[in-house]
Amino acid sequence: MWIVEYRELIRILTVSDLKVKYQSSVLGFAWSLLNPLLMMLVLYAVFKNVFRVDQDNFALYLLIGIVGWRFLQNGTSTSMSAIVNKPSLVTKVYVPRQILVLASVLSSFTSSILEFFVLVPLLLFFGVDLSINVLFFPLIHAVFLLIVYGTSLILAALYVYYRDLNQIWEVILQAAFFLSPIVYPISIVPEKYLGIYMKNPATVLIEMYRETLLYGEPPSLGEIAIVIVAAGALLLAGTVLFGRLEGRFAEEI
Amino acid sequence: MPLPFNLAGLKAIEAVINGGDGAADRNGNDAIVVEGLSKRFRIPHEKKSTFYDHLVGMVRGGSYTYEVFSALEDVSFTVGRGETFGVIGPNGCGKSTLLKVLAGVLRPDAGRVRIAGKIAPFLELGVGFHTELTATENIRLYGAIMGLSRRQIEGKREEILEFAELKRFENMKLKNFSSGMYVKLAFSTAVQTDPDVLLVDEVLSVGDEAFQNKCAEKIDEIRRAGKTILLVSHDLESVRDLCERCLFLDEGRITALGGAEEVVEEYLRRMQ
Repeated sequence: MWIVEYRELIRILTVSDLKVKYQSSVLGFAWSLLNPLLMMLVLYAVFKNVFRVDQDNFALYLLIGIVGWRFLQNGTSTSMSAIVNKPSLVTKVYVPRQILVLASVLSSFTSSILEFFVLVPLLLFFGVDLSINVLFFPLIHAVFLLIVYGTSLILAALYVYYRDLNQIWEVILQAAFFLSPIVYPISIVPEKYLGIYMKNPATVLIEMYRETLLYGEPPSLGEIAIVIVAAGALLLAGTVLFGRLEGRFAEEI
Repeated sequence: MPLPFNLAGLKAIEAVINGGDGAADRNGNDAIVVEGLSKRFRIPHEKKSTFYDHLVGMVRGGSYTYEVFSALEDVSFTVGRGETFGVIGPNGCGKSTLLKVLAGVLRPDAGRVRIAGKIAPFLELGVGFHTELTATENIRLYGAIMGLSRRQIEGKREEILEFAELKRFENMKLKNFSSGMYVKLAFSTAVQTDPDVLLVDEVLSVGDEAFQNKCAEKIDEIRRAGKTILLVSHDLESVRDLCERCLFLDEGRITALGGAEEVVEEYLRRMQ
C-alpha cells in the first residue's frame, strides 16, 4: 500500500507545505488564525445588524461555520494544483501521484485542527459548557478529511487537463457557501426545501460541529450515515477517476 | 465533447510498473522484461487545455483532430539479472520515451513492462531537489522519493555526504552550492539508495575528472554487486566498455539487438 511505503515522503511534503504556508506571510502562523476571526467579525456585523439574524450565540455559531468551511475551501483549492505544481515529481520519477494530493490535503487538515484549537478558549470565554460529546470531534473531522481528499483527487486530476477549473471551482464554492448554513440560521430555509437541504454533506458536517462543540449534543445516526456515505462515494469516485486520468499526467504537464 | 484522453485505451493496459508484483518472471533470472511495447503521442492540431477552449471548439464546430506520433513501436527485449544493458540510437529515436516507460512515468499504449525489484531512475540528476533546503534535507527528501524509510535514510546519510566529499557543507542550502557540488550530491544520493535496477540516462560524466573516475568505479562496483543497469547513452565508447548487450533503436523500432560490440558497429555503419 503506497500510504505505508511512502509515509516518509508524505510526511516531508506535508511539513514543507506547512512551512511554506506559514513562512510566506509576515505574521505567519498568527495570521492564519486571525483570518477566520476577522471574517467572523465582518459577517457578524453584517448579518446581525443588516439582516437582523436572530440566533443564540450568533458569534460562535458563525465562527464554527467559518472554521469548518475553511477546511473544505482551502483544502480543495490548494490541493487542486498539487499535481501541476510539482512537475518534476510527475515527469522525472515515479511516485504514486496521489501522494502529492494527500500531502496537500494533510497540510490543510493540520491548519484546520489548529484553527479549531483556537476556538476552544473562545467557547469557554463565551460561557459554553463543553460536554463529553466534544469527543465526537475527531471522528467528524476524520470523515471530513476523507471528503476533502476525495474531492481533491477529482479536482487535481481534472485540473491537469482543464486549467480553468480553478475559476469554475471558485464559483461553485461561493454558491455552496450560501447554500450551507454558515452565515444564517437553518430556520430561515423554507420548509419545502428543508428535506433536500439537510442532505447536503457540507450542511450536515457544519451542523455536527455545532451540535458537539456549541450545544453539547451528540450527532444523530442519520447525520453520521450521510457524511460517511458521502465520504465513501467521493473517495471511490476520486480514486477511480484519478487512476484513469493519471496515465497521461506526464504528457500533459 | 471530445475528451483529450482515452478512457477505453487505458483499461486495456496491464503494465506492471515498478515491480508491483515483485517478480519479473517465474524463474527469477530476468530483471526487466519488455513485451510488445508501443507508445504513441497524440499531438492535437489545436491544443485545448481549458473548459473554455472546449466550449469555443464546440460552438465553432469541427472535430477534434490530432497527429499521432509513434515514439515506440512493438519493442520487446529482456535484461537479465546482473546484466549491464545499453540502449543507443540517434536523437529522437525513442530512447528517452523507453526510459520513461520503464520508470513508470509514462503509461504504454500497448505491451507489458515487468521489472523485478526496486528501480532507481536517473532520468535526471537531482530530481526533487529543492534549492531552499540544505544538503541533508535534500538527501532525506530524495530518499523518501525512492520510498526509503526514515531509518534507512539516516543510515545512508553519512555515506552519501562522504562519497560526495561534501561533509563540510551538509547544513548549507543547496542554492549556495556550485553546479559541480550539486551534481556530486545528486549522483551520490542516487547511487546510495540501493536499488536493484538502475536506469541511467547520460549521467556518467559529472563533476571533475577525479570524481568521474570515482563514479565509474562506483558503477563498476554496483555491477559487480549483481545489480542490473540499463544505460542510455550517446557515448559509444562507454557503452562498448560497460555493457554486455545492447539495443539499437531507430524511429521507435528495434534495429539491432545483441552483443554490445556488434550492435555499436552496426550503429556506426548505419549512421555514416
